[in-house]
Amino acid sequence: MIRKPLNRRAMLRGAGGIAIGLPFLDAMLRPKRSSAAGEEAPKRLLIFFSANGSAQDIWAPSGGETDFDISSHPVHAPLQPHRDDIIIIDGVDNEVSYHSGGDGHQTGMGCMLTAAPLLAGDDFCLGACDDPTNTIGWGGGISVDQYVADQVEKEANTKFRSLEMGVQVNSSTVWSRMSYKGPDQPLPHREDPSQNLVDLFSDLDADPLELALLRKKRKSVLDVVGDDYQRLAPRLGKDDKVKVDQHLDAIRAIEKRLDANGFVGAACEMPTLDPTGDIFANDNYPAVGRAQTDLLVMALACDLTRVGSIQWNSSVSNKRFSWLPTPIAEGHHDLSHFDDGDAYALDAITRVNHWYTEQFAYLLAAMKAIPEGEGSLLDNSVVLWVNELGKGNSHTRRDMPFVLAGNCQGYFDTGRYLNYGGNDQDHNHGRLLVSLCHAMGYPIDSFGMPEYGTGPLPNLTG
Amino acid sequence: MRHHHGWVAALGLLAACTGSIGDGDEDGNGTVESSICAVDTPIRRMTRVEYNRTARDLFGFDVDVADAFVAEEESNGFNNQASSLTVSELHVDQFMQAAELLSAEATLDMAMLLPDCDPAADGDALCAGVFIEKFGQRAFRRPLSADEIAAYQALFDKTLADPETASFEVGIQLVIQALLQSSAFLYRVEFGMPSPVEADVVLLDDWETASRLSYLLWGSMPDDELFAAAASGKLRTPVELEAQARRMLEDPRAREAVRTFHEQWLGLGHLEAVSKDPIAYPNFYPGLIPLWREETAAFVENVIFDGAGDVDSLLAADYTMMNAELAEFYGVTSPDAPTGTEFVKVKVDPSERAGVLTQGSLLASHAKGDRSSPVLRGKFVREQLLCELLPLPPNDLVITPPPLDSTKTTREQFEEIGANPDCAGCHLMMNPIGFGFENFDAVGLYREEQNGKTIDASGEVVGNDEVGGEFNGVAELAERLAGSEDVRSCVAAQWFRFGYGRGDTEADICSMDNLQETFAASGGNIKELLVALTQTDAFRYRREVVAGGDQ
Repeated sequence: MIRKPLNRRAMLRGAGGIAIGLPFLDAMLRPKRSSAAGEEAPKRLLIFFSANGSAQDIWAPSGGETDFDISSHPVHAPLQPHRDDIIIIDGVDNEVSYHSGGDGHQTGMGCMLTAAPLLAGDDFCLGACDDPTNTIGWGGGISVDQYVADQVEKEANTKFRSLEMGVQVNSSTVWSRMSYKGPDQPLPHREDPSQNLVDLFSDLDADPLELALLRKKRKSVLDVVGDDYQRLAPRLGKDDKVKVDQHLDAIRAIEKRLDANGFVGAACEMPTLDPTGDIFANDNYPAVGRAQTDLLVMALACDLTRVGSIQWNSSVSNKRFSWLPTPIAEGHHDLSHFDDGDAYALDAITRVNHWYTEQFAYLLAAMKAIPEGEGSLLDNSVVLWVNELGKGNSHTRRDMPFVLAGNCQGYFDTGRYLNYGGNDQDHNHGRLLVSLCHAMGYPIDSFGMPEYGTGPLPNLTG
Repeated sequence: MRHHHGWVAALGLLAACTGSIGDGDEDGNGTVESSICAVDTPIRRMTRVEYNRTARDLFGFDVDVADAFVAEEESNGFNNQASSLTVSELHVDQFMQAAELLSAEATLDMAMLLPDCDPAADGDALCAGVFIEKFGQRAFRRPLSADEIAAYQALFDKTLADPETASFEVGIQLVIQALLQSSAFLYRVEFGMPSPVEADVVLLDDWETASRLSYLLWGSMPDDELFAAAASGKLRTPVELEAQARRMLEDPRAREAVRTFHEQWLGLGHLEAVSKDPIAYPNFYPGLIPLWREETAAFVENVIFDGAGDVDSLLAADYTMMNAELAEFYGVTSPDAPTGTEFVKVKVDPSERAGVLTQGSLLASHAKGDRSSPVLRGKFVREQLLCELLPLPPNDLVITPPPLDSTKTTREQFEEIGANPDCAGCHLMMNPIGFGFENFDAVGLYREEQNGKTIDASGEVVGNDEVGGEFNGVAELAERLAGSEDVRSCVAAQWFRFGYGRGDTEADICSMDNLQETFAASGGNIKELLVALTQTDAFRYRREVVAGGDQ
């Protein structure tokens, strides 16, 4: 693939010239609002995913709600520098996944951000695929990140509605997708850091005149392309029409993106990437994930989007943690199925989850390092760490290992450990998704299936 | 996306296959005798592989832009199942960028792109018109409608009228970009002939049939000869289709398509994620992965196009394909051991190895990081070779694989789980087959002992009358599978799904029966199976499209 070269000097030349009025220059020359006053910086929502459940049996830290201690916790310890910016959540269930077709990983994944049952369908099968009761479709509702993106879109035209970063997902099934633009509309991931660098940031470095010309050409072409899909759609049967309509919607979204004049934050700069090697090779997993994290954080800092996610592999992840100081021979999913009494497996799986905590902590540190007003990018954000299971060997979707970070401009009262008890109908995860919407400024009553809980999860706010 | 529309179609068409369509015919055609097994076929989006090949054949230069596209959805074991393929903003963005790159590269050589017209001599407008009509027809794989020609002409005119973009080259670039992002390029849209042959069944039109042939047999667009046949209505009879199919199978593009099928059927895509524990397997290195993959792909190609050509040989041939590096890994020291980077035929010891089942690609991907997996290997034989689908373990079962025990063989450890009554029912279907593979470790090397104990590679195919019974070692299993009608039927069914881009429904029973009979009669010859795929009702017909109607 030919990659467009990035040209910092061209931008400076353009900026020093007289081409005032182009969207990009306009943004550059405007006073940087976020550095002027923190409360004017936009709110952001991020989702962080790791797979196969976590350390359910030791999830609760020692101490109480506010004096909890994670400094030497086997899994949480890497979050010690951020303890005042997080809420460790306990006892919240993904109840809806028990009222859906599909296996534990599928429902855990597909209901995780939608709080809706999976659709019937024959896209994916469970064993005997010729039996319709054994087949399942995609997720059955819009996911919370996409719901928020829809709302943000009404207020701000950022270049991207949302960014879905993947780390070696490299698969597209109900096991590997968590974001849904609507029922039956899974969103794929951007997986290649070097391609992402170009797709997200090349405009910042392009010659503004060339950029304007490119946008003009794209508009002309997409205009014709859109008409083509519009002509075809009404001639088709129902199912094909749905697909062609979705294609047309995507064309319209890209046309709209061409008009975006992204607000460039004070800390916005072209990221630099270390080479990651083969982006799908097992041993490069940490390097790819690090690069994707850096890109995502900078995309938020540059206000290219206000909604994003980073998904590490997918549900049933079987990454082999060969990069740990003491490498682990078995794959993650295989290990997650060992019996609780197996000391070797327990140690290994704890080290796997500890490593993911380090990655989550890295993300938080990177967000904190972006100053915005009096605070940081993290203070203007909410980040939710999600998992498709509570625990690998039981496939339970109760007592989910959620960690929330960032106070989202004072909405959340962070620095706490909160145990909701679990196994009741009052504290299901749909309410946590409602809380995310409230934090972002969209006070809805319920998310997904209201029968599994309405209103925000209590006690999260200040 | 459809939800069981196949079953809706099936109800009506099961009747169609057996005699009559009753009062339930929604289209108001009344009771009509029908003998054709046709179904509603969904529009098919190009896969990454098809995109690269199509663009290559369209422009005449090598293309890999689609490698950067989002991975396709996997359903029915294949990545080209039409109704499961989704589309999103990221896809459409990638299509846009690919079209831009290709249009820039294509217009570097205007004389090649537009051989019949010289804008300097003939004028921009004339040449643009020629280009839109001629190149457009190849890109769309059918003639453009008057509306379409007008739209692309308008795009060209607008581009030239704008002083910032006023060049013939830019005008052509934007036309190419619009063509490559259009539905007719990215999808195969089929409406069929204007009037039904019977009831609501239509023959596909000539251009649609040409594309069905080329994407089935080449994974790419038609060539000039096929387009010419379409233009003169010479693709309407089974005899004409057979002649084209046989011609096309002699083209190198058929080899690519056959490789693609086998990569998916044999699960070679899963190799990419393979990682082995360096303590258990110090001789593993990631560079082996592409070599394993090529071994199997080259072997399949050799058997089907240069060798015996039958499924029995795929399973039981006494040779494989290696280059020097791979031969060194396997420890081949025979006189025919390859010395270069090219993959060449290497004889194997027929008491140890046979066909694809003993190749590193299959053995390593159906294994764990630190041990072989009798379960995965047995499951592969059941599902991919016998088309028998096994239930998954219960949702909330605590599954406990045995920790590595250096005093036992892998078999001994798995025999202990197999004895657990909760597991025995299903694992009896898999493990005893997988035990037959135990002479091969998780990187595909032959072994006679493990942890100081002699390997026991005796196995059994439980519950299948035809290939059933006890066997010793995978070579013996391969021999058994090679003669099996069940395996042939399964291979035909797998090709149906891959070739037609959809699962078979009840309405396809006649087509499937024909396919399986022809395949069996040919002695399991894969090229004959490919020809047979062009002869079925499912290939030649579809049900009429009812705009806005249920599919």
